[in-house]
Amino acid sequence: MKAKKGQVRVITGNAVGAYGAMICRPEVVAAYPITPQSELAEQLAQFVANGVLDAEYVEVEGENSAMNVVLAASIAGARTFTATSSYGLVFMYDALQETASFRAPVVMVDANRETPGIHAVSSGQQDMISARDTGWVQIVVENDQEILDQIIMAYRLAEDYDIQLPVMVNYDGFYLSYLAEAVEIPPIEDVDTFLAPLKQQPGRQKLVPGVSIGCGTHGMEMGYVEARYKHCMALERVKNKVDEIDKAFGDYFGRYYGGQIEEYRTEDAEIIVLASGSAAGTVRTVVDTKREEGVKVGMVKLRLFRPFPAERLIKALKGKKAIGVIDRSLCFGWKYGPICMELKTLAVNIGAIPILSYIDGLANLDVNVPHIERVINEVNAAAQGKPYQEVTWIPMEE
Amino acid sequence: MVEKTKKKSRVFNYFCEEDQFAGGVAWCSGCPLELTARFVPKVLGKNMVFVGTPGCAAPVLHGQNVGAWHRLAYMASVMTGVPSKATGLTRYYNRIGQDATVVCFTGDGCATDVGFQPLSGAAERNEKIIYITYDNEGYMNTGNQRSSATPLGAATTTTPVGKIGRGKTTVSKNLPLVMLMHRPAYMATATLSHLEDFAKKLQKAKEKVKKGFVYLHVFSPCPVGWRINSNMSIEVCRNAVRTNYFPLWEAEDGKPRFTVEIANPKPITELTKLMRKFSHLKEDGLAELQKAVDERYALVKSLCDAYK
Repeated sequence: MKAKKGQVRVITGNAVGAYGAMICRPEVVAAYPITPQSELAEQLAQFVANGVLDAEYVEVEGENSAMNVVLAASIAGARTFTATSSYGLVFMYDALQETASFRAPVVMVDANRETPGIHAVSSGQQDMISARDTGWVQIVVENDQEILDQIIMAYRLAEDYDIQLPVMVNYDGFYLSYLAEAVEIPPIEDVDTFLAPLKQQPGRQKLVPGVSIGCGTHGMEMGYVEARYKHCMALERVKNKVDEIDKAFGDYFGRYYGGQIEEYRTEDAEIIVLASGSAAGTVRTVVDTKREEGVKVGMVKLRLFRPFPAERLIKALKGKKAIGVIDRSLCFGWKYGPICMELKTLAVNIGAIPILSYIDGLANLDVNVPHIERVINEVNAAAQGKPYQEVTWIPMEE
Repeated sequence: MVEKTKKKSRVFNYFCEEDQFAGGVAWCSGCPLELTARFVPKVLGKNMVFVGTPGCAAPVLHGQNVGAWHRLAYMASVMTGVPSKATGLTRYYNRIGQDATVVCFTGDGCATDVGFQPLSGAAERNEKIIYITYDNEGYMNTGNQRSSATPLGAATTTTPVGKIGRGKTTVSKNLPLVMLMHRPAYMATATLSHLEDFAKKLQKAKEKVKKGFVYLHVFSPCPVGWRINSNMSIEVCRNAVRTNYFPLWEAEDGKPRFTVEIANPKPITELTKLMRKFSHLKEDGLAELQKAVDERYALVKSLCDAYK
């Protein structure tokens, strides 16, 4: 069975986020506006005001409350949605941890932006990276269509009985939040059909008044350990589930994204560039030009950041001669970028090959074609046994 | 001498539910919080959800692992999320037609300090929740540190008395008044020495929460932190009312009025002598405290008079 052709609209990433949420029919929505996400919060409020979206929209007084509202509503049984960015995500920090530990299937959009301290109102992945140990599932997307599709897939993942975890859909603030692209919005009935299997599963436990039930209470010693163990096991199950849902989504809507990672011209590649988010689009273009020059290069786009798709990465990278990793955030206290650092933990499985860390695209600095050409040239040289620099801050060397 | 027949308390008339708590719960001896926690569901009915925090109520409400000392639906929260969690619950219950009373139950530390922002936010949005603050004038569960509800001159572990220190140097935040300024559907102060008054207010709260936000501020002396004898806590409540230190008032639809008026208020020393947190105060310190109490009472009274 195939979905009907949807309506094509040219809209910004933020508007896509709002449409994506709307067609999944959330029952409780709470959001606090923040640059570069504000348009999304406004658009959802407008949907409710126009009667297109039948949801409780809570205009909270801060992001921390936004997360608490959707967390509790989710535990009561609601389908929920929220969206934030940067400082907002940081302000949610305690509630983020509670939401994951409560196993509340909240779906949140995060328009990636740099974090507090240096007041950068600009794109970067530092917010998402800094929230990686909160227990959430974190997925990064590349373009506007993928924002929409991934939100639909996120509900299918979060509310899966075997998962029951909150999912954060990340897209690049500024680059995607304000970029208008043509996006196909599927008919809402088809989204209903795609999410229908969730209704066939056993009901999850809900907080109901009049029933003796506690939520988020003290878990000491073994109580704590057992809950954490189950949480970690659920995160492990997320990996295959992401691939399965991607396949089901592609079979029905006709668009596949590769699941945990997308591999582009990797099969016969000798060297790989690992990227994520909107930068992956540019990498794909440069890979094509370099291929024409005879460089056997491919790209791996990291879609799933938490849980870290170790098995898929090992499979894709084993036997390659060198890898360049582009990080758009920092790992304070480690010289490599965060994604590179995590990839290095797989070195024993991938093989003792050069893994070059590139810090680029911080605070709205473009990861542009010359940068990526430079990455490919250097990784290629390293693959041929030439000496290389382990970590390169590209903007500092220009 | 003829012994007077003791009048049977009419407070039982307000009960609609049996006790929801187990006997022998893990609160300190003489703590009014236990009586308050037992009292609230008896009047509101068990079809409720408590939302609470780490704090004095936590050992009993949270329980340990799978066991708690009560039969109620309960959601634990960090300090900053209580009214927002209650918002999420009540919005969804209302949407699906689930009958429920959502009750936030926190100490003054959460309500006046770290959890104030969402409290103010929920009150302004007029969410249909009841927020009950048990006010023991400090962070008592962590060992008697000052909060913004700690009164002028009080000795706590973070406003200690020493060679220079003379206890807290500022007056407490008047949270009931702050909440009145949010124009809730209903707000009231209450304490355990005036149980029938408390019960009436809970009953009104249950009715008024159908229209919007309800705030209840319950004076709750801490035998350990305030250093009072554990058999004296109700007496402390009574004298707090009789000295106008803790006036009993309410506001229905934004109109404040006293529910208990004291004809001849006692001097503040009648209250301070019952505990040791003020024992370092000399005449001038006590006079300052008296002045702060009088000022506060006059402000509330002027508001009540304005709506007479």
